[in-house]
Amino acid sequence: MDAIIAQVSRTLAQAVLLVAAGPLVTGIVQKGKARLQCRAGASVWQPYRDLLKLLRKGTVQSDTASPFFRAVPVLVLAATVTAAALVPVLWTPGGGDLPFGDAILLVALLALARFLLAVGALDAGGAFGGMGASREMTVGLLVEPALMLSVFSVAVTGGTTELGLLAARREALALSWTAPDLLALFAMLILTLAETGRIPVDNPDTHLELTMLHEGMLLEHSGPGLACIVLATHVKQLVILSLVAALFLPLGLAQGWGAAGLGLALGAFALKVLALSGFLVLVESSYAKLRFFRVPQFLGLGFVCAFLALALRVL
Amino acid sequence: MRRVAVWVGHLSIGVAAVLVAIFALGFLTGSAPAAHLDLPRLFPFAAMSLSVDGLSAFFLLVISLVTAAAAMYAPSYLGAHAHAPGVQTLALAAFVVCMALVCCAGDLVTFLLAWECMTLSSWVLVVSDTRNEENARAGLLYMVVAHAGTAALLVSFLVLAERGGGLDFPALRAAAAGLDPSTRTAVFLLALAGFGAKAGVVPLHVWLPKAHPAAPSHASALMSGVMLKVALYGIFRFAFDLLAVPGGPLPASWGWTVLLLGTASAVIGVLLALQQHDLKRLLAFHSVENVGIILIGAGVAMLLGGGRGPAALATLALAAALLHTLNHAAFKGLLFLGAGSVLARTGVRNMEELGGLARRMPWTAWLFFLGAVAISALPPLNGFVSEWMTFQALILGATRLGASGLLAGVAASMLALTGGLAAACFAKAFGVTFLGRPRTAHAEHATESPAPMIAGMLLLAVACVALGLLPGWAMRLLDRPTAELLGGAGASAAVTARGPMILAAGDATAGVGATAISVTAVAALFALLAALAWALRGWPRRAPRRLAPTWTCGMTPSARFDYTGTGFAKPLRLIFAALYRPRREILKETGPSPYVIRRLSYQGEVVDLAETVLYARVKHWIASAAHEIRSYSTGRIHGYIAFVLVTLVVCLLLFARA
Repeated sequence: MDAIIAQVSRTLAQAVLLVAAGPLVTGIVQKGKARLQCRAGASVWQPYRDLLKLLRKGTVQSDTASPFFRAVPVLVLAATVTAAALVPVLWTPGGGDLPFGDAILLVALLALARFLLAVGALDAGGAFGGMGASREMTVGLLVEPALMLSVFSVAVTGGTTELGLLAARREALALSWTAPDLLALFAMLILTLAETGRIPVDNPDTHLELTMLHEGMLLEHSGPGLACIVLATHVKQLVILSLVAALFLPLGLAQGWGAAGLGLALGAFALKVLALSGFLVLVESSYAKLRFFRVPQFLGLGFVCAFLALALRVL
Repeated sequence: MRRVAVWVGHLSIGVAAVLVAIFALGFLTGSAPAAHLDLPRLFPFAAMSLSVDGLSAFFLLVISLVTAAAAMYAPSYLGAHAHAPGVQTLALAAFVVCMALVCCAGDLVTFLLAWECMTLSSWVLVVSDTRNEENARAGLLYMVVAHAGTAALLVSFLVLAERGGGLDFPALRAAAAGLDPSTRTAVFLLALAGFGAKAGVVPLHVWLPKAHPAAPSHASALMSGVMLKVALYGIFRFAFDLLAVPGGPLPASWGWTVLLLGTASAVIGVLLALQQHDLKRLLAFHSVENVGIILIGAGVAMLLGGGRGPAALATLALAAALLHTLNHAAFKGLLFLGAGSVLARTGVRNMEELGGLARRMPWTAWLFFLGAVAISALPPLNGFVSEWMTFQALILGATRLGASGLLAGVAASMLALTGGLAAACFAKAFGVTFLGRPRTAHAEHATESPAPMIAGMLLLAVACVALGLLPGWAMRLLDRPTAELLGGAGASAAVTARGPMILAAGDATAGVGATAISVTAVAALFALLAALAWALRGWPRRAPRRLAPTWTCGMTPSARFDYTGTGFAKPLRLIFAALYRPRREILKETGPSPYVIRRLSYQGEVVDLAETVLYARVKHWIASAAHEIRSYSTGRIHGYIAFVLVTLVVCLLLFARA
């Protein structure tokens, strides 16, 4: 029983950490982009202020929407936070009988959030929502097979898709990367850009209808509902970054609740996320957004790299 | 009077289904020996019998689950817009009984008779609505493909029966044990083609999306949800039982054939489903996809079974295939009944003419939504559970299959693509049909379906939730079939060894790592977080909520601003243009200035490559061969007698040397 309680408390602590830090990562990326463009930029805490502002606002809902529309933001946030509970962020797994941390389940929960959001976008009956939903689902389904392939290329060596076990195995190898690791990491970075809705796949800063994917689905949401979805977007971005970190850079994971180990794990986590956010900043500032129908080719590159990584592992 | 007859007929079908379900559940969870029943001798050359083992009982459960729901649903549905309710009730009863008999047959004669009657009675259901001429054409195509399949089956049966000296299954098993490998493989491939034609395996699927939607909706649910499974029962029975090598693995070529056919069916089925705007046709194409997913699991089980891989992994793969069989019956039945509910209340199957039904038919809408989540393999419902098991079997199997494990990895990624495409397809199907504004008066004036129809759907929805959240319970049902077909300890020892709420894959003792999930715990966490977020939404102040029209760039909002299903699927139509070969025609009629458009009409279409390339060619060959033969077909009897005589002599020379 104690083992289960310890495990559940760790799982929840990681989820709380990802939810709390999610907006900050967005703030850091925005700040970094601004500095690269020689602007001062908003404070890194700006996303929190935006969320608070939205929470205080009233809601305007489309008069054609069904009751489901009100539940969408809550369900999307719940699915995303559940996914956040599955990533090993601070601890390697140890003891505990409740399995929390399967990679396929994590991807499926993110897909559930996307599905709910897309269905909700069709509810208000505006063309923009439908356009955003159609494009987001298209990109999502193109990402999924490549994402699975690169996860599998790591999983076949460990014979498991449990992220905690994979991270523990990887940590034992330290930084001795082989060619399949590098190829899979490269594929994963390409897919990260798509999954976090960044340039060159999507542009999080735009509300111009012809270019937006994710933002198009949010147009009809407002007030606290919009706050839920925006928070879910921040959390999802951090979940994806943590997934990359757990699969390829799982260094400094703690074993228990000891202050030194935990501090080290937190510091290592912050460094990893900062490095990956730096990658997002660099790509966002140096590339233009791709035309929508060029995106499949871009993601195809990720698929081919993941395929090669798996081939090198298996053959 | 006729209404009473229809009610009584369906009621008795429903009661029979419940009794069969109770028997099957008791058989699957108990340890009774296989039941055997001799039938009266109908033919001088063969004794007929029924026998029920674990595999039969499991398929009986699949049949009776959907039948019970359909029987609850049908009387109200037929009352709404039936053409020939009496005939449809009778045909339905015959159809269901024949499906059950196929799964219980103890010899080839019973099997073939029941199989043939199943085809004929379902054909009656397909063509029963004579108001639509397309139905007759769909029925004809169904007949042709079904009988081509039966012909292939007949050949493989006769090869076995000739060696066996008897037609009952034990004699056939003995005969198969003595076959040389190449004959065995030929027999298997013939049986696979025969059963595959019925199951809708690509490229033998073209009849399916035409015939299934033509039947009344509850019959469509049975055809898509159950009849395809009866064909899969044949594949399971032949591959793992009748033709199996005693004590050894199945030939690897069988497993790879089934795995590749399954992968192709899954991807092509869902890609074609995405471009449909007829709700029932879309669902029928998804059946092709799901049969593919089941075959992927079966293929992995064939590859790893019989000691070639760890026993626990083979059991996992077979359990995944069988569980997906039951799951697909539940959610596809639910979706077809939901589509039927829409059809009954609006008279429209084309989703582009619907919309806004969630506010008018809330029960139908939310039950359909549940089915959509389940079929898209999203947690925490049952579709995810069986696909997760298939994924694990593929990935863990890939490490055991050497270099060809790469193919298993690719199949796994194609399975992921299938899941994504299915989610996109059902976001479209649900969103366009039930959300937004009503596009026509049919949708505008729709009202909720009567309670018996809702009850039928509710039964299947409960099954979807229960099979997702209680995996330990579902695995117990699979214990007997998996133990019978693969030997070993059965599904719950392999999959739910760590506890009834935890699905575990892998075999720690065989050096394969283990992965586990607990859908139940994750669902609980999800529900908790959703409740928390719902409660916290009012924080820090409860702000007012008001309704306003959707912003449509300053124009008056109307249903024409809603995104259409065709528009939703457009990006994929362009990305996969090589497969779809889309055709579009735009007719523009302009006024005096080219900028003033008076009329604009758009026609778009995608093709099924199997139909245009493969079938068109085969049809052309047959037609030209018939044309060639015509000159010999003079109509003179003595000419024909000469042909028969020559053929006989040639056959005697070829085959009667011994």
